Amino acid sequence: MSVVESPVTDSLEGIIVRLEAAVRRRFGGDASIVNVDVATLGASNRTLLFDLLDGNTTRRLVLRQETYRSPVSPFLSPHDQYRIHQVVHSHGLAIPEPIFELDETDDLDRGFVVACIDGETLPKTLLGDPAFASARSCFATQSGEFFARLHAIPVAELPFLADSADSIDPLNAQRQRYDSYQESHPGIEVGLRWLENNRPQERAPKLIHGDYRVGNLLLNHQGITGVLDWECAHQGNAMEDIGWLCLRSWRFGRIDKPVGGMGPRSELYAAYSANGGETVDPEEVRWWEIFASLKWAILNIMQADGHVRGERRSLPFACCGRNAAMIEYDMLMTISGRFQ
Amino acid sequence: MSHDRPDIPEILATLKEFTRGVADKARGSERYDALCAGFLVDVVKRELVCVEAQDKSQAQRLTAITGQSGELEQLYEAFCQNVRGGRLDQQWDEVFDFALQQVIDKVAVTKPDYLAPEHQADALTGNVKKQLE
Repeated sequence: MSVVESPVTDSLEGIIVRLEAAVRRRFGGDASIVNVDVATLGASNRTLLFDLLDGNTTRRLVLRQETYRSPVSPFLSPHDQYRIHQVVHSHGLAIPEPIFELDETDDLDRGFVVACIDGETLPKTLLGDPAFASARSCFATQSGEFFARLHAIPVAELPFLADSADSIDPLNAQRQRYDSYQESHPGIEVGLRWLENNRPQERAPKLIHGDYRVGNLLLNHQGITGVLDWECAHQGNAMEDIGWLCLRSWRFGRIDKPVGGMGPRSELYAAYSANGGETVDPEEVRWWEIFASLKWAILNIMQADGHVRGERRSLPFACCGRNAAMIEYDMLMTISGRFQ
Repeated sequence: MSHDRPDIPEILATLKEFTRGVADKARGSERYDALCAGFLVDVVKRELVCVEAQDKSQAQRLTAITGQSGELEQLYEAFCQNVRGGRLDQQWDEVFDFALQQVIDKVAVTKPDYLAPEHQADALTGNVKKQLE
């Protein structure tokens, strides 16, 4: 598999110069940017935080630039992500306010700028720091409420999502991506077969975040302040978001707390239903949790593929290729009923 | 056998010491890279010890399941194609047990303490455990 276009590889200095020019085109010649920090080079985006100085006001903003493109990319284009931010933010959900989208004049490749939300994302801090005890205690309930509100947004407001591979058939989308890496994993293949033979009932399509889990959420000491990383959003079965959140990998070792390593399933399900969500069928969630393992293992194989082919050389991506085995293990142990 | 000292285990131990030293001093992404490098050194160490016996055992089981012979990579492909096509659905338990054992073998190389206790005992028995100490 090959990446069709070069992702952003520019120097940080070059990006800052052009970002300031982009800001001045939109906010006037006196606007400037300071306090630039590189947050992460994630799976699909480069994230830069900066202060926008505009007259007497200072505002912390975030630039998201695309770093990965492929014919079988599991990630939405920045343009589509920006449109999702506009719609979801307009419904009053706690996600970053969209500020502007990059265009060709900006010479910064594909991306967008959103408002910064204060909060912590690091799993180790969120799951271990005593200061976050209150946030942990309400995490499952807040997540259920968020899902209920997200899934209530009419999918007609984001019609382009209906055409994505994950919206049409999420299992087939994973199969196509896995095939593109041309590797033979007996565990993945057995997982695919089990999922195919045990498909859940169809439900009316909802707006699915697709990657809602600790690491993509901002929390303060009181609870969730923002939901980030919308590049995997699509239309689908509401239980998919619930299964993904309960994936064993996202418990970060606290396996007795299935909801992100912080809370019980019962609180998540109760809050979801109490806020207008559909009735949760635990067996159906189990199918989606096994699906989540498959998807997460294939995403790790994707990262290693980029490393091995030389397109995105990186020590963490090299590790991803070997980490896939642990996710396959979780998947097969969950299918066998030995992991809950 | 290595012709000269340090031998392979000693070279790997040296690399591991280096990555640990960098991780102790570095911060941020540099520290994370050093931890990743140390993790990969450990993978190499375990794979060198485990791979031969794992490959042999897996090839035998795959030949029994698929009725085919050949290199392990070819046997994996045959297994995967047959599973995909539903041609092994009638022997699902045997197929599932093989896939789980193959994954246990991989995790035994990648991060053996990730395995459930019953699988840790299976994965790292006798000679293998001794060589990794």
